[in-house]
Amino acid sequence: MFRNLYLKALRDQRKALLGWTAGIIIFIVIEAAIWPSIRDMSAWKDLLAAYPEPMRKLFNLEQFTTGTGFMNAELFSALLPLFFIIFGIGRGARAIAGEEESGTLDVLLVTPLSPGRMLLQQAAALVTGVAVLGAGVYVTLAVSSVLFGLGIGAATLAAATTAMMLLGIEFGFLALAIGAITGRRSLAIGAATTLAVAAYVLYAAGQIVDSVQPWQPLSPFHQALREGPLGGGLSLSFLWMVAAAAAFVLAAIPLFSRRDIAAH
Amino acid sequence: MDAIKTTGLTKKYGRKNALIGVDLTIEPATVFGYLGANGAGKTTTTRILAGLIRPTNGTAVVFGLDAVRDREEMQRRIGYLPGEFVAYRDLTGRNYLTFLANLRGNVDWSIVDDLTGRLGLDLTTRIGDLSHGNRQKLGVVQAFMHQPDLLLLDEPTAGLDPLIQREFLSLVREAANRGQTVFLSSHVLSEVQAVADTIGILHEGHLEVVESVEVLKTQAVRHVDITFLSAPPTDTLRSVAGVKSLEHNAKTVRLTVEGPMAELFQIAAPFGIEQVVSHEPDLEEIFLSYYRGGGDQNVPQPVPQSIA
Repeated sequence: MFRNLYLKALRDQRKALLGWTAGIIIFIVIEAAIWPSIRDMSAWKDLLAAYPEPMRKLFNLEQFTTGTGFMNAELFSALLPLFFIIFGIGRGARAIAGEEESGTLDVLLVTPLSPGRMLLQQAAALVTGVAVLGAGVYVTLAVSSVLFGLGIGAATLAAATTAMMLLGIEFGFLALAIGAITGRRSLAIGAATTLAVAAYVLYAAGQIVDSVQPWQPLSPFHQALREGPLGGGLSLSFLWMVAAAAAFVLAAIPLFSRRDIAAH
Repeated sequence: MDAIKTTGLTKKYGRKNALIGVDLTIEPATVFGYLGANGAGKTTTTRILAGLIRPTNGTAVVFGLDAVRDREEMQRRIGYLPGEFVAYRDLTGRNYLTFLANLRGNVDWSIVDDLTGRLGLDLTTRIGDLSHGNRQKLGVVQAFMHQPDLLLLDEPTAGLDPLIQREFLSLVREAANRGQTVFLSSHVLSEVQAVADTIGILHEGHLEVVESVEVLKTQAVRHVDITFLSAPPTDTLRSVAGVKSLEHNAKTVRLTVEGPMAELFQIAAPFGIEQVVSHEPDLEEIFLSYYRGGGDQNVPQPVPQSIA
């Protein structure tokens, strides 16, 4: 558990990870359990038609008639991205800036461990944490799909879960990078959250307003959600998210290596 | 090769100069005491030597390795105790040291056992539950545990009780005897003087004095209050070599003395001494007197009522 920084960082997030995974599992099971009664509601279509069109577009309300569509609207369009992003940003900001602010970074750096490798090991730990969350989502939904007749295929589910993980990793890496560059945890959280909100607004506006649509592909939310995300399969647009996440961390390495570490 | 060599070392924070043109050479296997008041630039120097911050100008070289260019290589050879040592509250001391030992490699655990035994540190307690003094001991152990070529210790005795301080100073001495170099910063002369070979005095970012302990000791100016059983022999005392100034009331004299005090006590003893209180010389006075060649005295302070 203390063999290297990566394992120590995993250990440090074990409680948070346990809490988040448990919360997400409970949440998904409740949503899935609602599905059979929604499906059997005869007046459902009339109800949906009564919603304003922008709402229907943003949350894909038309899809509510299938289990896949219901889960897309209820989970994958807003709540799961939110969970993954909050988890990613929280862990990312804590990794370096948190250690620096608490004063434990000094001794850690005066070892053969270089700032660059420290950043990479923290990034790897963040990916592992997000992957555990993703596995929780995948297994819970796969089981729920069978139990409550959602009819979600394994490949479809894997692709959608990947989209959620990539959102968490991309904004998590952004927070990690800002924290490493500035040494300030609150700034890392604030800036990464602001950018996540801006990206969501761009995505949502693109769904509703035609003139914004050309800009929509710039948003990680569009890259993650445009194909469903349930039902779209693995999208090539996922590669943009991988590239952006990698770019954040790689850009932070030289800046982190060169800057002064704040005294406690 | 020098253990430490700095040339024109300067650090600015915005417009504020934390360190100005410090030239310092420290030989291997010696203990260097780095004295200065709080805010004089001790921590800034130590952090540059540890590779945690970069100098604005000048260079710091440790065993031929540049603190900026060869940072990782240099850091392998350093044990560092920060001025405010903080460790992970949720780990036990043992887990924390295991983690650092794994990062550093090649740590002989029998050394850890020896250090913790001598300092009286319990490694099974969560660090968050340790007292301030015990946390500081953990900081000392982590700095010494891999027997680094250079120990950078920033105010290491803060929070240690006197008995442990003594044990710590013998650890420092033993390290130097083994060939390790120790850079020890402090604002207390007596602590550094007990263990250092050479002392540097830092004042407002300038390295004012670098001198062997022996020389500084003979030039140090001290205040001593001697309470006599009857009226003090002021004229006799005034004429003793080394006495720079004298103030007195009914029974007590306050003397400012430079250098050894043996002669003073030999002369004063026959008059019947009731009590002697010696005061730590302050750093300002030491280097002021150093610069003036000890020829001038400082403004004497009034004798406090409590001892009069």
